[in-house]
Amino acid sequence: MAFLQWRRFNFFDKEVVKYPDSTEIFAKLKDIDITASASGRGQVTLGDSEGNLLFLDRNLELDGFKAYELRVTHIHQLKQHNIIFTIGQDEAGTNPVIKVWNLDKRDKSNNPSCSRITRALPGSNATANVTAIAVSENLNMMAIGFQDGAVTLFKGDVTRDRHSKSPKVVHKGRMQVTGLAFRHTQRSNVLFISTENAVIACHIGAKDVRTETLDNHGCSSHCAVISDTTQDNQFVIGRNDAVYFYQPDGRGPCLAFEGRKTILHWFRGYLVVVTKDSKTIPRQIAGEGMSRMMDTVTVYDIQNKFIAYSAPVPEVLDIIQEWGSLYVLGGDRKLYQLQEKDTQTKLEMLFKKNLYVMAINLAKSQHYDYDGLIDIFTQYGDHLYSKGDHDGAIAQYKKTIGRLEPSYVIRKFLDAQRIHNLTAYLQELHKQSIANEDHTTLLLNCYTKLKDTNKLDEFIMTKDKDVDFDVETAMKVCRQAGYFKHALFLAEKHMQHDWYLKVQLEDIKDYQKALNYITTLEFNEAMDNIKKYGKILMTEVPKEATDFLKVLCTDYKPADRPLVDPSTLSGGMPPPIQRASVEEFIHIFVNNSAQLMEFLEHMIKVQTESSSQIYNTLLELYLHDMAHETEKRPRLELERKAMALLQTGETRYDIDQALVLCQMHSFQKGILYLYEKAQLYQQILHFHMEHDSYDQIIEDCKRYGNQDPNLWVQALSYFAAKEENCKPYIVEVLSQIDRRNLLPPLLVIQTLAHNSTATLSVIKDYIVRRLQQENDQIADDERLIKQYREETKKMKSQIEEMKTSAKMFQVSKCSVCNHPLELPSVHFLCQHSYHQHCFESYAENEQECPACLPENRKVLDIIKAQEQSKDLHEQFHRQLEKSQDGFSVVADYFGRGVFNKVTLLTDSFSSPSKSVTPVQRSQPSQPSRPPPPSAQQVRSAAAPPRPTPSAMSAAPRPQGGVSTQQPVKTKVTRAPTASMPSSRQQALPQRPSTPPTKRTPPPSQQPPPTRSMPPPTQATASRPIRTADPPKRVQTPAQQSQARSTPPTKEYNPFDEPSEPVKPASQQGRGTAAPVAPARRSYSGVKGSGQDAQPGRGSPSSTGGQQAAPRRPPTPPNPFGEETSSDGKNPFGEETSSDGKNPFGEETSSAGKNPFGDDIDEDDKNNPFFN
Amino acid sequence: MSYAYLFKYIIIGDTGVGKSCLLLQFTDKRFQPVHDLTIGVEFGARMINIDGKQIKLQIWDTAGQESFRSITRSYYRGAAGALLVYDITRRDTFNHLTTWLEDARQHSSSNMVIMLIGNKSDLEARRDVKKEEGEAFAREHGLIFMETSAKTAANVEEAFINTAKEIYQKIQEGVFDINNEANGIKLGPQHNTVNPAQPSGDRGQQGGQGCC
Repeated sequence: MAFLQWRRFNFFDKEVVKYPDSTEIFAKLKDIDITASASGRGQVTLGDSEGNLLFLDRNLELDGFKAYELRVTHIHQLKQHNIIFTIGQDEAGTNPVIKVWNLDKRDKSNNPSCSRITRALPGSNATANVTAIAVSENLNMMAIGFQDGAVTLFKGDVTRDRHSKSPKVVHKGRMQVTGLAFRHTQRSNVLFISTENAVIACHIGAKDVRTETLDNHGCSSHCAVISDTTQDNQFVIGRNDAVYFYQPDGRGPCLAFEGRKTILHWFRGYLVVVTKDSKTIPRQIAGEGMSRMMDTVTVYDIQNKFIAYSAPVPEVLDIIQEWGSLYVLGGDRKLYQLQEKDTQTKLEMLFKKNLYVMAINLAKSQHYDYDGLIDIFTQYGDHLYSKGDHDGAIAQYKKTIGRLEPSYVIRKFLDAQRIHNLTAYLQELHKQSIANEDHTTLLLNCYTKLKDTNKLDEFIMTKDKDVDFDVETAMKVCRQAGYFKHALFLAEKHMQHDWYLKVQLEDIKDYQKALNYITTLEFNEAMDNIKKYGKILMTEVPKEATDFLKVLCTDYKPADRPLVDPSTLSGGMPPPIQRASVEEFIHIFVNNSAQLMEFLEHMIKVQTESSSQIYNTLLELYLHDMAHETEKRPRLELERKAMALLQTGETRYDIDQALVLCQMHSFQKGILYLYEKAQLYQQILHFHMEHDSYDQIIEDCKRYGNQDPNLWVQALSYFAAKEENCKPYIVEVLSQIDRRNLLPPLLVIQTLAHNSTATLSVIKDYIVRRLQQENDQIADDERLIKQYREETKKMKSQIEEMKTSAKMFQVSKCSVCNHPLELPSVHFLCQHSYHQHCFESYAENEQECPACLPENRKVLDIIKAQEQSKDLHEQFHRQLEKSQDGFSVVADYFGRGVFNKVTLLTDSFSSPSKSVTPVQRSQPSQPSRPPPPSAQQVRSAAAPPRPTPSAMSAAPRPQGGVSTQQPVKTKVTRAPTASMPSSRQQALPQRPSTPPTKRTPPPSQQPPPTRSMPPPTQATASRPIRTADPPKRVQTPAQQSQARSTPPTKEYNPFDEPSEPVKPASQQGRGTAAPVAPARRSYSGVKGSGQDAQPGRGSPSSTGGQQAAPRRPPTPPNPFGEETSSDGKNPFGEETSSDGKNPFGEETSSAGKNPFGDDIDEDDKNNPFFN
Repeated sequence: MSYAYLFKYIIIGDTGVGKSCLLLQFTDKRFQPVHDLTIGVEFGARMINIDGKQIKLQIWDTAGQESFRSITRSYYRGAAGALLVYDITRRDTFNHLTTWLEDARQHSSSNMVIMLIGNKSDLEARRDVKKEEGEAFAREHGLIFMETSAKTAANVEEAFINTAKEIYQKIQEGVFDINNEANGIKLGPQHNTVNPAQPSGDRGQQGGQGCC
């Protein structure tokens, strides 16, 4: 029997109700014959057999009034309204009376007001015993059951007499009605009726009532109750064998609680059953003298299926629920309180008995909070675990996920090595997405330990599943455990390219796949990854990797992308071409030069604008391979390629680097090519020198000599240094040097002097030719000097003549109108005569001959301009720097009188004019007009001196311009001057035609030397600056001037180009009129002494001298001449006379490259200009 | 939930064969290892779908204890189908089948569809009753046979649904009088509008109309 019951607990505490704050038992009910009871709204209502209604409140105060004359039989308290329905008898044997009391309304005597009094069977005086009453909570239905089996239904407002229709008999049976209950649902109202032999459902519609017999067994009185919503508002009937549940449409479950039931009560989900235990003998109750039948009160928890309480209570009269507790009214008139324990206590009791499932159900049904439930699950889990039921335990622990710290569970199962369970738990964790990395790791480790590939597959490979774990950790674990496939899958799925490649390359070593994978990546990713793994790929799958790189560096698109972007088809902008720079990948090819070569070749072919690094690298590759290639054919092939690269690469590669590379690998062809390309002719030459390939040297010189004539010089010194016999080459070189006038002969000789093999025969021709040229030159110069001297002499005599003798004006025609001259007329010393009126109308001023004026003015202007510009030091220096032939510039400046004191010309204008005046006066007496003549005389007087100064001082104009100008002024002078130019013109026919201002042209031949030896030019350029500083030293300028005038001819001509010795001179003269003219003079002046230095300079300075003292008849050997003569040791002289001691010689020997350079310091005083 | 038909089932068999677990598995899709004894008769319901018709199964789970037999017997009546369950690991439960069958036949309508179920098929290792024996018994008594596991849910659905199909087929064949609730078959609410028109005394061949 015992095990045919539910589990029994003691969830209620039974206590006898006592007075508050005392231990005295509540005993007020002792003398009351209770006939009915009800409870609700804070008080218990009792009815007694004397017609009283008694109210018992919380403080156990009893209060009451008389409601019926005879007795109260039924009380029904509404739950939602403070209204009581009572049935009782006012008269014996008559129709019972229904009274409705409103407890909120009190009448005068402070009793509840009665709102309705109705007879149970209206309109009938038949005796009837009411056995049951039910009132619907909405107050519009009331059912009364009678002993005779009839049930009447009152509808309408049941609290009032009015409005309520007359009752309707809904059921007529033969057996006593034992219970009534309304069940309200939205659709229907059902009245359950239980009689002693049936259970009936009365479906109450709006108009009709339909009854349905649910069962043919009934129950005794008080044994029917309606349950609450937890049991679906079923109608519960207690019978001896069981408790049956009924639904409106039929019988429901039944619970086999045996025993003779006397009372059924529903209390908050509990079914309270009072049974008469027939078997138990009446017991003696302590403290009371009388024996009573003991009833058993059992409280069932229907939902959770256990007995919450069970205890004997003497003769239960009624069960009352109020004040949160259950009260049992015992036959001993004591009130027993059944206080329900709180949930926690109940749970603890269950835990003690390890009834966790029940505890959980209980907690759930009591709406226990979630945390509490988790606690239960945990305890349950712990319990199961300790019992060894790991599967069960894990099932419980799974429910705690989210609250309970997972490590608690994990540790338990880890220690126990229950990996299966652990796996389940971890899976659940992941399912709920609260797993952290460690959990993932652990789970995967579990899988791998269990070798449960299927689960692992499921966990990882499920494609559509959302990832509920840390991908990276998962990959790590998979890798570690050797489940590379899984790791790969994950990496691919989650775009962890890096991982994918790592696994593919380092673990699986499927390089091809890795590469393929990379090709599907986006550009940037592809690039990064190929950078990272390129080396491995290159060593393993060189071919494919190279191909990929080619693509990557040209126009990259992920491999799985369609060739033509759909967006471009639909008119969108084409995506920009993505390409990686080649340089970044070169290092990948570290050990794979063949591939690198291929790659680079491709890149260069595709993108010619590649950076120099590529070209360089490729070149290096070629060269390197070439150097290591032993077979001849491939070697040649490589060589060809390298050359092709050098030649076609335009200037993409870095020449310097290429050169270094070529040199490192001694790729001669390349080196030479590069030298040539870089215009490093010297290097080419050196290269060949190093290799002693004489023919090549000569070849080089020939080829590049035009660009860099110095090559010849170097070749010479090279050959000179050679001990071997290389005469033919020397001859060749010499001829070139000679032809191009590259080196002074002295240097040549000196150079060759070091060579023991170079015999005289080698240079004999050269020297002879040179000397010959020198001689010719000298002769020529001397001739000119002589010429100039003569001219000068003539001029001087003319001047003298003009000063001393009278001038005759014999012109018969006017120079203007060409008519016979008539008085008044104006005569000019320049042999022009005019009618006065003609003169007046033509002359711009009275003092100048209109015919000669333009010419004169020209000359004057030139002189003036030169005067002005002579002080412009900056300009001078600039010119000097720019000029290729410093000498000519300096000479030119001398010509302009740079070193002359102050303004010589103005002096010469004023002073001569005055001094001459007297002379003129005598002459102008002839002209009719005295004043003009005077002026003219002044002019004419002024004129004569001018020719001289102009001729002498500013040599340039005299030669070209003066020839015409000078005669203009003075008729006397005219003749001689005119003759002079003519003579000169014969000598140097071109001269007059060129304007004197030009001074640069002559160097046309001289540049080569200066060019070939840049340092020297600079030296010469800088020299004059220094020397120019001390212009006051009369001597020096003079010397300088000598040096200056001569050098062009002296220095260069003799040595340089023997073939055209005259020409340079003439050109010089022509170009720089200034220097040349004096030069001639100087020649003539020097003539005889054999030293031409001084006279040239004489011209500028002598003009000064002459102008300063014009009257003084020029002494034929002018001061400079004397100087020079006294200066007999002039370096030039030495040069020519004794070569050995020549400063040049020293220079060249001391500093081969710069024959002019170093002697400055030494020779400064003697010949500063030379440097 | 509206339904076309309501079928009443009853689950019978010795105590501990897993009747309540079958029900729990079928209605709640869960398995409770610790299950209390059924005291009296419990009740479960679930909707299923057969041939596009919603059918509500109302299942009475009876106590297997001999002492409750009197109570449970009253539930045989008005059941359209019965699941007669035995435990394949306990031969005695198989041996009692005859008694159960007699009981059922005696107290139920003759048309009741009875499904013989050998439960606990997951405990293959402890099997005591061969499947063939079960099949043989079923053949012999004209029952449908199936082995199930309430724990793993194997065949549980099928057991209930196949029974329902069988009943449904019988309805189609007109074997059942759908208007007699004593047969354990009830028409759904939507059919109520049709049925009142039918003469109440008209018996047989009305299943076809019910589904029309």
